[in-house]
Amino acid sequence: MSQSTPDTNIDVASVVEDVNLRRIGHYTLIIFFLGFFLLPLVTGIMTALKTNEAIARTVPFMPPLGGGFTLANLEYAFSQLSHAFINSLLMAIPATIINVLLASMAAFGLTMVKWRGQLVILILFLIGIFVPYQAVLVPLARFWNNTFPLADMLSPLFAGIPLLQSYHADLVPLIITHVAYGIPICMILFRSYYQSLPNSLVEAAKIDGASITKIYRRIILPISKPMFGVVFIYQFTQIYNEFLFSFTLVSSASSPEAPVTLIIPAIGTSTSGIDFGIRMSAAFLAALPTIILYVAFAEQFAKGLETESG
Amino acid sequence: MARLALDDVTKEYRDGEMSVVAVEDVSLDVADGEFLVLVGPSGCGKSTTLRMIAGLETITDGEITLDDRSINDVPAQERDIAMVFQSYALYPHKTVRGNMSFGLEESTELSDSDIAETVEETAGMMGIEDLLNRKPGELSGGQQQRVALGRAIVRDPDLFLMDEPLSNLDAKLRAEMRTELQHLQEQLGVTSVYVTHDQTEAMTMGDQIAVLNEGTLQQTGTPLECYHQPNNLFVAGFIGEPSMNFFDGSLEENALVTESLAYSLSPDLRRDIEAGTDLVLGIRPEDVRIDEPRTDGQRFAAEVIVVEPMGNENVIHLRFDDAMAGDEFIVTTEGVPTVSAGDRVDVEFSEAVVHLFDGDSGVAIKNRTLSFSGTPDEVIP
Amino acid sequence: MGSIQLDHLTKRFGETVAVEDVTLDIADSEFLVLVGPSGCGKSTTLRMLAGLETPTAGDLYIAGEHMNYRVPQNRDIAMVFQDYALYPHMTIHENVRFGLEEEAGYTDSEMDERVEEVAETLGIDDLLDRKPGELSGGQQQRVALGRAIVRDPEVFLMDEPLANLDAKLRAKMRTELQRLQADLDVTTVYVTHNQTEAMTMGDRIAVLNDGQLQQVGEPLELYHEPANQFVAGFIGEPMMNFLHGNRADAGFVGEHIEYPFDERLERAVDGVDDLVLGVRPEAVDVRRADESSAPNLGPHEFEMTVSVTETHGDQNILSLTHAAESVDHDVLRAVTDGMHIVKPGEPVTVAIDPETIHVFDGKTGKTICNRRIETARELTI
Repeated sequence: MSQSTPDTNIDVASVVEDVNLRRIGHYTLIIFFLGFFLLPLVTGIMTALKTNEAIARTVPFMPPLGGGFTLANLEYAFSQLSHAFINSLLMAIPATIINVLLASMAAFGLTMVKWRGQLVILILFLIGIFVPYQAVLVPLARFWNNTFPLADMLSPLFAGIPLLQSYHADLVPLIITHVAYGIPICMILFRSYYQSLPNSLVEAAKIDGASITKIYRRIILPISKPMFGVVFIYQFTQIYNEFLFSFTLVSSASSPEAPVTLIIPAIGTSTSGIDFGIRMSAAFLAALPTIILYVAFAEQFAKGLETESG
Repeated sequence: MARLALDDVTKEYRDGEMSVVAVEDVSLDVADGEFLVLVGPSGCGKSTTLRMIAGLETITDGEITLDDRSINDVPAQERDIAMVFQSYALYPHKTVRGNMSFGLEESTELSDSDIAETVEETAGMMGIEDLLNRKPGELSGGQQQRVALGRAIVRDPDLFLMDEPLSNLDAKLRAEMRTELQHLQEQLGVTSVYVTHDQTEAMTMGDQIAVLNEGTLQQTGTPLECYHQPNNLFVAGFIGEPSMNFFDGSLEENALVTESLAYSLSPDLRRDIEAGTDLVLGIRPEDVRIDEPRTDGQRFAAEVIVVEPMGNENVIHLRFDDAMAGDEFIVTTEGVPTVSAGDRVDVEFSEAVVHLFDGDSGVAIKNRTLSFSGTPDEVIP
Repeated sequence: MGSIQLDHLTKRFGETVAVEDVTLDIADSEFLVLVGPSGCGKSTTLRMLAGLETPTAGDLYIAGEHMNYRVPQNRDIAMVFQDYALYPHMTIHENVRFGLEEEAGYTDSEMDERVEEVAETLGIDDLLDRKPGELSGGQQQRVALGRAIVRDPEVFLMDEPLANLDAKLRAKMRTELQRLQADLDVTTVYVTHNQTEAMTMGDRIAVLNDGQLQQVGEPLELYHEPANQFVAGFIGEPMMNFLHGNRADAGFVGEHIEYPFDERLERAVDGVDDLVLGVRPEAVDVRRADESSAPNLGPHEFEMTVSVTETHGDQNILSLTHAAESVDHDVLRAVTDGMHIVKPGEPVTVAIDPETIHVFDGKTGKTICNRRIETARELTI
C-alpha cells in the first residue's frame, strides 16, 4: 500500500493562511524547549574555549570574544586524559562486543526456541535487570580482590603482550563485571526484536535441516544487524560512562589503568578552587567517543528503533 | 448523497531524480447512490486513487469534486467520507460500541443519547447487536469486518470508500459478504467507491466498474459491458474467470492466420483491416463448443490435455496440434464431462462469439454479438 | 515410498482440541488437499506432519517410519509457507541453496548446479542474484517453491501458498502447481480454505471442520455424494441451497415451500422427521413467469421473485425470494446462463427436479440420500 506523502508544493498563500494563535503558541513552546535543552551544551562549549578571566566576566553561554578565546584548556585536558582514553576504550569496546553477542544468543534461545524451564531462566534474567549496582559493590570488590584475583593472575601474561602493559590486566575484572551486568537489559532489547520476527523463518530453516546453532548463525544473526547497532550504541554509552564499578575495582584515580570516568571528577581542582574551563574541556573530550559512535551509526540506530516500533 | 467526479486526476511520486506515476489522467463520474468498483491488478493505481478521494494522498494534478465542490485541498477530516480498510483498522482498545461512536463524537454535534441510538440501530442492521460490548480482539474476522462496515455506515456520510474489505476473509465468508454488501448498499443508497483486485467482486457488486492498469483507466462501464464489449486486450483478459483465450496471428487474404489455425473472417469482420495487420483472436471459454453435431462455425482439431471437474462445470484444457507445448486454451462446459485427457476433439469457434483485437495496440476491433434473453434492458445500454 | 498414515491423530492446546481423532491414508505421489474453514484444524494437522507441533495422541507415519517425535530437520519433508518465509538477507540463490547444505552427497558445485536447474524450471533463473525484498509476490512464491523442490524430499507440505496472491495470479499458479506436482511425482499435502483450489488441484480432498474429519474422497465424489450437510455446504460455489423443514404426508413441508417426494425420496427418508433438503443452484431451473403459467404449476414448481442478480458474465446467480409473502431473506439461489438475465423484482417460475434433491437429517446433519446421478461412477476418473 502507498505511504502518505507530505505536500511538496507549498505556496505562500496556504502558509500565511494558517498563521493563528495556536501555531504561534506551538512554535513558542518549541523554541523554548529547544533553548532549554541546548543551553547547557552551548554553555559548556563556550566555557571550554574561554580563559578564566573571560569565564568570570562574561555571560556563560555567550561565545568568547577576542582575548577571551583560548585552546589552552582543551590542550591541558587532553594531556591529562589521553592515557585514560586508551584505558576506557580498552575496557568498553571488548565489554560491549561480548555483551551484545551473548545477549543476542540468549535472546534467541529464549524467544525463538522452545524448551523446558525457559520461563524460569527468563525470570532470572528479568530479576538481573532490577538488581541495583550499589547493592553488589562490596561483594564485588571482595570477589575480585580476595576470592578470585584474576587481575593479579593475568598481570604477567599482559606484560608479555605487545602494546599492552601489565597493569591493563586490572581492566579484565571490570570488563567481566560489565558484561555480566549488561546482558539482562540487552537480552530484553533483542528479545522484543526477535518477537517481531515471523516464526515461519525459523520453522522454514528447521525444515531445511538446519540445527539451532546454524539457524542462529546463518539466519538470525545476519537479520539482527539493525538491532546490533542500537544495542551496541546503547550499551557502549552505558559502559563507557559508568563510574561506580570503575571506582570500586580500580585502586585509585592516579592508577595507570584508571578509565576516563575516574579521572574527570578530579580534573581542574586545585587549592585555588575549580577551574571551569578545564573541567568543561575535559567533559567534552570525554564525551567525544560516544558522539563519534552515534554519528557513525546514526542510520543503523534509527533503523533499529523503527523496526522495534514498526 | 453525493455525486463524485474525478477530472484528469494524476498522482506522481518524486524522489529526487526518480519519479513514479502511480495514477495518470483518470477521469470518472459516479452518480448519486451509485456503486462504482475500481478494479485492476496489484500496482495499477486503484488504491492510490481511492486514497486521493479520501484525502490520505495529495493530488499532483487534476481535480476531484464532490457535488460539484472541489475537494482537492479539503483535509480528510472535513470531507464527510467514511472508509473501510482492508485491515479494518478498528481501534483495538475500544469496544465495538466505542469504535462505532468515535466518528460521530468527533465529527458531529449529536448528543450522547442520539449517538447511542444511531449506533444501536446500525448494529442491528449489521447483525452485531450482541457484540457491542466486546473488543475487536475478541471477534472473528467476519465479525470485525461487520464492525468496520458499521463504523462507516453509522456516520451517514456522503461517500463510502472501501479498500479491498473482503480480501482478509475466508472464501466462503467472502461470497456471503458480497451479497450482504450489495443488499446493504441498495438499502442505504450511499454513493460508494469500492477497490478490489478480484474481478468476480467487480462483476457482481458494481453498478459501474472502472478497470485500471499501470495507472491508466482502461475502460468504464457496466460489468456486462466490460465483459462482452471490452475496449482492449487488457480488459478482455482481466475481466472473466477463466480468462478469455487469445490467439496471436495476422490477417492474410481472408483469414486470421496463427501458428496453429487459419480462421476465416467474413467480409463484415475484416472490412477495415489492412492485409498483414497483426491481430489477436479472442474467445471466451464458455463460448467454445466441443464436438457439436451442427456445423455453424469453423471447427478445428485439438487434443484434450486435462479436464478439471468443478462439480457444476468443467474446465477443459486443450491444445492445437501445431501449437507449442504449454500453449493451451481453455473451454468450460456444464454438467457431466464428456471428454477426458488424451481425447481428440473438434472445437468450434463461431463468428458470433469471437472478438478481434489489434495486435499492436490491443484495441478491440470487433466484439461478440449479443443475444440476451430474460429482462436485460439497462444491463447493457 | 512417500506414503503417509495419520492414525487417530489428536492435538490439544490446553483446553481446546484443535485436531480430533483424524485417521487418513495418503498414497505415494498423491496430491491431497486438506480443506475447511478457519480454525478447522487443517494447519495444525499440516504442522504435525512437518514436526512443528507434537501430536497429543495418535500416530503419524511418513514412508512407513513413525514420526511423532522426530524433529523437522530429520523428516525429509519440504514446506511452502503462506508468507513464503524467505530469508530476507540472502540472495535468491542462497535461499534456495540453504536446504541443500544439510543434504548428504552434494558437493558445492553440484549444489549450485541443482539450484540453477530448479530455478530454470520455475522461470526464476534471472532473479538469482536479487534479494527477496526486491521481488513481487508471485516471484517470491516461486522462490518458496524452488526452495522446497530443490531438496527432492519425500513429501511436500503447502500451507495456503496462494493466499497472498492476486486473484488472477492465483488462478494461473493453481494450474502451474498442479503440473509441477504431476511432473515431480512427490506426495503433496496442500492446505487451503478455498474450495475451488481443492476441487481443481486435489487427487483427493479431505474436509475438516472443528478438528474432525468430515469426509475424504475424490473431488466429484464429495461434490455429488457428500457424507453430511457440512461437506455439502462447503464444497461447491455457489453454495448448495438448504431448506429446513419436516416430514409431511406428501413429502416435505418447509418454511416457505411444500415439496412432494417421489418414490426414491420416500423410501430413503423413511421414519425421519427433522429434515433438510439440499439442491445445488445449478440444478434449480428458472423461467420467466407469465400470467398463464400460474394455475399450471407442477408439483415441483414454485412462484418466486428475483431479489438480487449477480452477473458473472459467463453465468448469473439469482437470489430468489418467495413471491407470496414479504420475506426479508432469500430462500433459494439459482444459476442461469450468462445470456439469460432476469432483473431483480421480476416474477419467475422455479422448478426443482426430485432427482437433484439431497436429503440430510435435520438433527445430525448426516446424509440420508444424495441426488440421483447415473454417471456418478464414471465421473470419478
